[in-house]
Amino acid sequence: MIQKKICLLGASSVGKTSLVKQFVEGIFSEKYLTTIGVKIDKKVVTLAEQQIQFMLWDMEGNDSYNVFQERYLRGAAAYIIVVDQTRASSIREGIDIHTLARQVTDCPAILTVNKNDLPATWHIEDRENEGYQSLFDLQFSTSAKTGANVEEMFVALAKLLLKG
Amino acid sequence: MASLLNKVINALEQIVLEVTDINSGTVRWVEGEGEWFNDLYPDSIPNETFVIDEETPFLLDFLIDAKLVWQETENAKLRSGLWTELTPDKQELHLEAIAIKQDQHSLLIISNQKENFKLQQKTKQLAREVLLSYDRLFLKSEYLHTRLVSILKQPPEPSNINKTLVKVIESAEFAVLVTSSDFSNNIENPAALKLFEQETTYSAQPSKPIDIILRLMQNQLPEYERILSTNSSWDGELCWISPPSTLKWLKIAFYPVKNKLNEVENWIIFANDISSIKHLVQRNEQLALQDMLTELPNRFSFWQTLDKHIVADQSFYLLYLDINEFRRHNEFYGHDEGDKLLIELSKRISTALKTSDFLARVGGDEFAIILNKVNNQADCRKEIEHIIECINKPFHTNKSESFNISLSVGAANYPNDAQSVEDLMKFVDLSAYNGKKKKRNSIQFYSQSMKDASRYAIKVEQELRLAIKNNEFELYLQPILDIKTNCINKAEALIRWNHPIRGIVSPDDFIPIAEKSGLIISLGQWVISRTCQIAKQLSELGFEIKISMNLSPTQVADVNLFAFLSTCINDNQVNPYLLELEVTEGVLVDDYSVAEKLLSNARTIGMSVSVDDFGTGYSSLSYLKKLPLDFLKIDRSFIKEIVTDDNDKAIVRAVIGMAHTLNLCVTAEGVETDEQLTFLIDNSCNSVQGYIFSRPIKVDNFIKLLKEQNQT
Repeated sequence: MIQKKICLLGASSVGKTSLVKQFVEGIFSEKYLTTIGVKIDKKVVTLAEQQIQFMLWDMEGNDSYNVFQERYLRGAAAYIIVVDQTRASSIREGIDIHTLARQVTDCPAILTVNKNDLPATWHIEDRENEGYQSLFDLQFSTSAKTGANVEEMFVALAKLLLKG
Repeated sequence: MASLLNKVINALEQIVLEVTDINSGTVRWVEGEGEWFNDLYPDSIPNETFVIDEETPFLLDFLIDAKLVWQETENAKLRSGLWTELTPDKQELHLEAIAIKQDQHSLLIISNQKENFKLQQKTKQLAREVLLSYDRLFLKSEYLHTRLVSILKQPPEPSNINKTLVKVIESAEFAVLVTSSDFSNNIENPAALKLFEQETTYSAQPSKPIDIILRLMQNQLPEYERILSTNSSWDGELCWISPPSTLKWLKIAFYPVKNKLNEVENWIIFANDISSIKHLVQRNEQLALQDMLTELPNRFSFWQTLDKHIVADQSFYLLYLDINEFRRHNEFYGHDEGDKLLIELSKRISTALKTSDFLARVGGDEFAIILNKVNNQADCRKEIEHIIECINKPFHTNKSESFNISLSVGAANYPNDAQSVEDLMKFVDLSAYNGKKKKRNSIQFYSQSMKDASRYAIKVEQELRLAIKNNEFELYLQPILDIKTNCINKAEALIRWNHPIRGIVSPDDFIPIAEKSGLIISLGQWVISRTCQIAKQLSELGFEIKISMNLSPTQVADVNLFAFLSTCINDNQVNPYLLELEVTEGVLVDDYSVAEKLLSNARTIGMSVSVDDFGTGYSSLSYLKKLPLDFLKIDRSFIKEIVTDDNDKAIVRAVIGMAHTLNLCVTAEGVETDEQLTFLIDNSCNSVQGYIFSRPIKVDNFIKLLKEQNQT
C-alpha cells in the first residue's frame, strides 16, 4: 500500500490534534490539551480503486514557546496549515509557517480554516483573503467538532497525491 | 561499576543501543531495561540486534539526522525532540532519542521522558490558555474600538448615530460604555450591566457602571487626574471589590474620541472580566514557584521568601533537612517509590509545623524550613525533634513493605549566625553536611568553630582577590633530576603567597579556597604566564629546562584555557617544548573528554603532559592507554616507605613497568633518602624529585643551582 507522510502545522490551539482525532477516530473532545513534540497517527483512505495510508504527523503548535522545525517536514508528501477562524492572528501565523515550510519543500500545501462551527472573527479584506488562497493547492473550511469537511479534506488530499 | 551504571541508566529510564549498521538502522540493545521499552519493541531482546523500522516512523526519520552524527570523526550528539508513541495496549509513551558519537562508538539512547513531558505539558497548557484568552480579548476590543470610533467621527446626525451605536454596542460580548465628555450621559450595553451587577440589599441604589469604573480608576490609578486633564487613553487592570462577595479583575480600556480641535467629545470604555485569566496567570506564577512533585514551594520561591524574612529583620531559624541514604533508597525501591516517599515526607513535615513556618523543597532530597517565633536554640531543637518524631514512624511502599528513613538537619539563626541569604544557606548546608556523616537522625546547629572555619574561608577568599590584584604571588621551582644523567632537566613550578602580614602561605591553605571560589582561573592564568616568563628567562641563559605547572579541575574545565596558554607562549616567545602540564588522576577520570581535548591540543604544539599524584586516585589504567600522556609522577606516599614496605615496593615496580610498556616516563616524588634513590635507580625510574636534592626554591636560587651544576 502506498504510504504518505502528511504534516499538520499551525499556531498553537488551532485544532490540529482535534482534526486528526476526528479523522482517525471520529471523536472530538471539548477539552483543550496542548500537544508536546510530535505524535504520529495512521489512517488508510480508500478511494474507488486504490488505498493510501496516511502517516499524520501532528506537531506541537508554533508560538513563543515552540519554534517551527523544518526538519520534521522531511519526506512529507503534503502539509496542512491549520488556522482558527475565531482568531485572526492564527492566519498570519499560518502564513508565516507556510513561508518557512516552502523553503524546504515544494510538496502540496493545504490551508484549512478550522472551527467553522464558531462565529468567525476575521475581518480581513477580501483581496487579502484571495492572496492567501493562491498560496495553497487546496483550501477547506472545517470543524473538528462537527466533523464538517474533515473526511472530505483528507480524501481530496489523497486524490491529489495519487493524481500527482 | 557496570552494574551501578546500569542502575543509573534504568533509573533515568534510558535504553542504550549501539548502532551496528548505520544504513539499515540495525542496533544492539546494550544497556538499560524497562517494561516501557518492551512495549515499544516487543520483539527485541537485551544484547541482541534489531532493526528500527516503520513501526516507529518518528525514530526511523530521526536516523537520517543521526547518521550524520555517527559518521562524524569527532565526538558529537544530537537530540530528536519529544515524540509520543502508542503501545499495543494504547498507552502513550513520551520519548526522546539521542544520537551519540563517542570514541568511535555510534550510540542511540532512547529515553522515556514521562516526567519531562508532563512538566512541559502542564506549563505550556497554562501558558497557552492565557495567551489564547488575551488574544481573544485583544482582538474583540480592537475591532470594536475601530468601529466605534469610525461611527462617532461621522458627521453629526444624532438619531442615526445613536441607532448604529446602540446596535454595535449591544452585540458586543463585553461591557461597552460610550459617554459624553463629562461622563454625564452614557450608553451602556447589557454586558456592562451584567458585569457591574450589585447586590442591592447593601446599596439602596446601585452605582452606575461608569461611576464604578471612575471610582476604581481614581482610587487605584495615581495617573487618573493626568489622564483626564490631558485627554489621554489608558488601558490596564483594576480590581473591583464590592462586599460581601464581589471580587472581580477587570481589564479596562479607556479611549477619548476627539474632534478636529482636539477636544474630547466622547469617551469609549471597554471592560472585560479577566478574573479567570488572572487565576490562570496566578496558577502559572505558582507553577514557577512550586515544586511539581510535592506541590511545596520550590527553591526559587524559598529564596524569595528567605529574602523577605531578612528584609523584615525578625529573628528566625533556618533549617536544612537532608534525607540520609536517599539515593540508596531510590536504587533499592525504584524512583516511583522515591517520589512517593518525598510526597509523604513533605506532608509529614508540614503537619509538624506551625502555620507561620515556611517549608520548601530545595533540592532532590533536601527541604528547607523557616521557623518563625522561636525564642532560642533549645526551643528550636524541640521543634526539630518534633519533626523527626513525625518522620520516625515507618513509611510504606506500594507493596506495603515498611521502611524507615533518617534526616540530617542543619540549623542556623538569623541574625546571630548570618545576616545574608547566601551566608545562611551556606551555613545550614554546612551544618547538615556535618551531621550527615553520622548517617542517622542528627541535628547540627551552626557552631562557633564551623563559623570560624567558614569566616576564615570567606576572609581568605577576599584576601586572595586582593593578592591577585597586588601581585602577591611568587613561583618557586623544585628541581627534577634525570636519573641517567644525574642532572636537572626539569622543574615543577609551585605557587607561594607572600602574604603582607602572615608571610609565606602554603598552597594547601589557599588553593582549595581558590578552587571553590573560582579564583583559581585568575590564579592559574598568573601561574601560566609567569611559568612562560621563567622558561624564557632560563632559555635565554642557556638552560633548556622544562617547567611543569599544575592544573586544577576547574582550569581543565575552562574552555578558554588552551587559548590562554597559546597566547602566553606567543607573547613570551617561549618554545612549548619547555612547558609541561600536570594534571591529577581525578581530573582525567572525572572529565575525560574535556581533559583529552586539552591535553591533545597541548601536545600538538609540543608541550608534554604528566599525571600528578599517580596511585592516590582512581588508578584506572584504562585512561592511561587512551590519553595523550608523557609522564607519570608516583605519589610521595608510595616513596616514603619504599625501603621498608614490600607492598609499596611492589606497587612502585609495577607502576614503572606498566608505564614503560605504555612508553611513559616515570618521575618519583618525595625522594628524601639515598636508600629510596637507590631503589628507584635499580628499578629504572626515569627521574626523581624531592628534598634529597632540593626543596622548592626561588627562581634566582634555581638559576644559581643550574649554574653550579654546569660548573661541576
